[in-house]
Amino acid sequence: MFEFWRKKKSALVAKNRLSIAIMSDRGGGKNYPFMDELKNEIVTVVKKYMGVRGVEVKKEVDGNFEAISIDVFLDKRS
Amino acid sequence: MGLGIVIAVISGKGGVGKTTAVANLGLGIAMNGKSCAVVDFDIGQRNLDMILGLENRVVYDIVQVMNGKATLQQALIKSKVEDNLRFLAASQIDDKRVLNSQKVKKLIDELRAKFEYVLLDSPAGIESGFEHTIEFADAAIIVVNPEVSSIRDADKAIGILDSKSQKVKEGGEVGKYLIINRIVPDMVQSGEMLKSEDILDILNIGLIGKIPEDSGVIDASNQGKPVILDKNSEAGQAYKRISARLCGKKVDMKDVESADTSLFKKLAGIFK
Repeated sequence: MFEFWRKKKSALVAKNRLSIAIMSDRGGGKNYPFMDELKNEIVTVVKKYMGVRGVEVKKEVDGNFEAISIDVFLDKRS
Repeated sequence: MGLGIVIAVISGKGGVGKTTAVANLGLGIAMNGKSCAVVDFDIGQRNLDMILGLENRVVYDIVQVMNGKATLQQALIKSKVEDNLRFLAASQIDDKRVLNSQKVKKLIDELRAKFEYVLLDSPAGIESGFEHTIEFADAAIIVVNPEVSSIRDADKAIGILDSKSQKVKEGGEVGKYLIINRIVPDMVQSGEMLKSEDILDILNIGLIGKIPEDSGVIDASNQGKPVILDKNSEAGQAYKRISARLCGKKVDMKDVESADTSLFKKLAGIFK
C-alpha cells in the first residue's frame, strides 16, 4: 500500500514531458533552444587548453534516439 | 460607428470546447450590451448552430455570402435570447477550397464595420481553414484542456498564429488570451491534473479565464441553450466573467482550482 504514497504525482510528470516536447517542437525539430549557449560554453572550456577556431553542435535524430554531435575545430598553430 | 474587434477562437486539438466557448462568449458579450457576431468557420462541420439552438433558422451560409449568392444581411441570424447577437452559419459542403484570403478579408471587413465584436469559430487542426480564420483577426482566444495533447497542439497553433497573422506581418502584434477549460478541481488538488500556472508557464501567454468541468455544458448543448443562461452552472458563471473581461470590465480571476468540492459543500448546495 506504500506504493500509493510513493507514486509520483502525474501532473508533475505531465509538466516535464510537455516542456520537453514543446521545446523540441518549437525548435522545428532541428535544434534545442539552448544550442547557442552550449556552443559558447564549449568554446570557453576548450580555449583554456588550446586555440579554437569554431564549434559545431548538431542535433541528430535516429528513430527514437536523439543525439548531440559536437565538432570542435582547433587552431592550426596550437 | 467605429471598427469592431475580430477575435479568432482557436485550439489546435479538437473537442476541447471551442464551439461552446464561441457560443457562450458571444452571448455573454451581447449581454454586456455590445453588438456581437459569431461566425462558424468550420466549413463542412457546422456545429455552432446547434449549440446556439438556431439550426432550424439557417437559410444562407458563409460560403454563399463570400460567393455573392447572398448578402451578409440576409445570412445573419438573430439570436433567440439576445437582440445584440447575430450568427453566421458555416456551409455544410465539405470543400474547404472555397475559402480564399481575398474573400475572407472582404467578409471580415464587412463584419468589422457592422459589429463591435466578431468571434470566429475556427476549425480544429492547423490546416488552411484554421489559417483563414486567424489571418485577419486582431486577437485570438486559445482554448485548452489541462491535458498534454491539448496543450501541445495549442502551442503549435499559437506558433502558426504568430507567423501567419496579417497584423504580425504588418509589424503589429496579435493579442493572445488563454482559456483553460474543463478543470477538475479535485484532480488539480491531488496533483493529478496540471495547474493553471504550469500551463501558463509552458505556453507563455496571458490568461483570460478558467472554466471548471461541468455537466451542465452537455445539458445546455442538448437543448441548444448555451450554459451561460444557466444561473446555477459554474461553467456558465465562468463564461460570464470572461465575457465581462472581454468587454473591458475588471473582474477578479476566480480560483476555480481550489473550489471547495467537498461532499459537505455539495450537500449544502442541495438545500440552497
